[in-house]
Amino acid sequence: MEALLGFLIFGVTIGVVYGIVALGISLIYTGLDIVHFAHGEIYMFGAFLGLVFAHQYNVPYWLAILCAMIVTGLLGIVIERVFYRRLTRAGGGYTVAGMGMIICGFGMSVVLQNIAFLIWGADAEPFPVNFGMPYQIGEIFLPKSYVATAVAALVLMGGLHVFLKKTKIGLAVRAVAQNKDIAFLMGINVPLMISLIFGVACAIAAAAGVLIGPMQSVQVEMGYLMLMKAFAAAVVGGFGSLPGAILGGLLVGIFENLGAAYISGSHKDIYAFLLLILVLMFRPQGLFGVEAKVKA
Amino acid sequence: MLEVRDLQTGYGRIKILDGVNVSVAGGSIVTVLGGNGTGKSTLLKALSGLIPVWDGEILFDGESIANLRPDRIVNRGLIQVTQGKEAYPAMTVEENLMVGAFTRSDKQGIRRDLDKVYDYFPALQERRRQLSGTLSGGEVQMLVIGRGLMANPRMLMLDEPSAALAPQVVLNIFANVYRISQSGVTILLVEQNVRMALLLAGYGYIIRDGRVLIEGPAEELSGDESVKLSYLGGTVASREQMSS
Repeated sequence: MEALLGFLIFGVTIGVVYGIVALGISLIYTGLDIVHFAHGEIYMFGAFLGLVFAHQYNVPYWLAILCAMIVTGLLGIVIERVFYRRLTRAGGGYTVAGMGMIICGFGMSVVLQNIAFLIWGADAEPFPVNFGMPYQIGEIFLPKSYVATAVAALVLMGGLHVFLKKTKIGLAVRAVAQNKDIAFLMGINVPLMISLIFGVACAIAAAAGVLIGPMQSVQVEMGYLMLMKAFAAAVVGGFGSLPGAILGGLLVGIFENLGAAYISGSHKDIYAFLLLILVLMFRPQGLFGVEAKVKA
Repeated sequence: MLEVRDLQTGYGRIKILDGVNVSVAGGSIVTVLGGNGTGKSTLLKALSGLIPVWDGEILFDGESIANLRPDRIVNRGLIQVTQGKEAYPAMTVEENLMVGAFTRSDKQGIRRDLDKVYDYFPALQERRRQLSGTLSGGEVQMLVIGRGLMANPRMLMLDEPSAALAPQVVLNIFANVYRISQSGVTILLVEQNVRMALLLAGYGYIIRDGRVLIEGPAEELSGDESVKLSYLGGTVASREQMSS
């Protein structure tokens, strides 16, 4: 029983992190009409930047998250403006530009990985953060890093929710995500909002990277697997749905940890995709998905 | 107030409008009529800045607005109301209306205009917390007009507000368009419903194949036999050819 609870706790912790990366992928998908395949590398960059801030500049961990978010967000805006803008302006989805966009995303992922390799090298870097002794509840030890990660992820989700639902800019972002032409006709600066969407999505990916850092380690290839898991989470929850992305992340996190614990630990990374396949077989629009949008 | 001179535009390499001249005086209701595929919506898109103007001139208050970015045109007070089906279905009615007020920061003015919209269309007030995807066709049309009003327009361009609606609903909407015009907003009404549009408007243009075919005061146009024909897609010439 305690073991099960332990696996569940770890599943939820890692799940909320999948969830916030999936949130970014969904946000970009609704806003720019593209699936951003370089998002894993953005997450990796965020993790490295967090490490740089925390250990080279001795910034406190929480502040390092914030700094990594800001820098990565700005990096994302530059990438969107310089490389993606021309393609998304020509049309996303099943257009030639939409296909070009997917290839551009893959290319960007290779480029970012190599840049990170040049700067930080190929070795896995430990990211030690001292959270202190774990909480003890009965027989269960609950590491503080887990709690901190879950809390930070929840704060991010809550913040994003409030931003989208309660602020004027958030309303404009939703308007752009739903229909760009009408948003334009209502006087919204659509290109600016698209940059903002991309920047926010990259910033929350960076936060995920810095949160995962202390649990695993930080290395150049960490982005690929996160992209796949977050992608699975986004599809399980319903692509383009923000609550769905969170729920999908939790499900993927719990599912893979229970699978690793009770079926086979050496195939841990398969379970996320098993869940993905099951959902696609029985509920192709995802758990929260409402409509099948034609977007690439 | 609005002066369109020899406007040419289209999509890609396909030319849709081939020299359109339209003039709208301040405070008036002017209608642009034509069947499907005659270029009515293209004209509105060019006026709003959604598609590039190839040639010709668009003057709003004497200043050129051709090829300005859409949000800049909105800031000048020229607002397009899209066809009824284009609301934001995943937003509530009130959120939809607030999107219309995006460019404004005068809280009191926004509040006042919101009340005004609810006064025009009480059905919207009843449903203000509902997702707009759950509204009926007529209510969505009211919503998009209301959203346009929230931008505090000086001139409103309506794209077929009567499309696919029951006659009773059309009557309600047109009555409110009249009230809006009485409040000092200039109206450019693009329509297929010739009879209703000419009843409301003071002056009309009939476009066909990307050109203005006939223009004149509304009373003259409603009596004109060729108006009916061009709206139905036939021409006087083809009728003569048929009878010969």
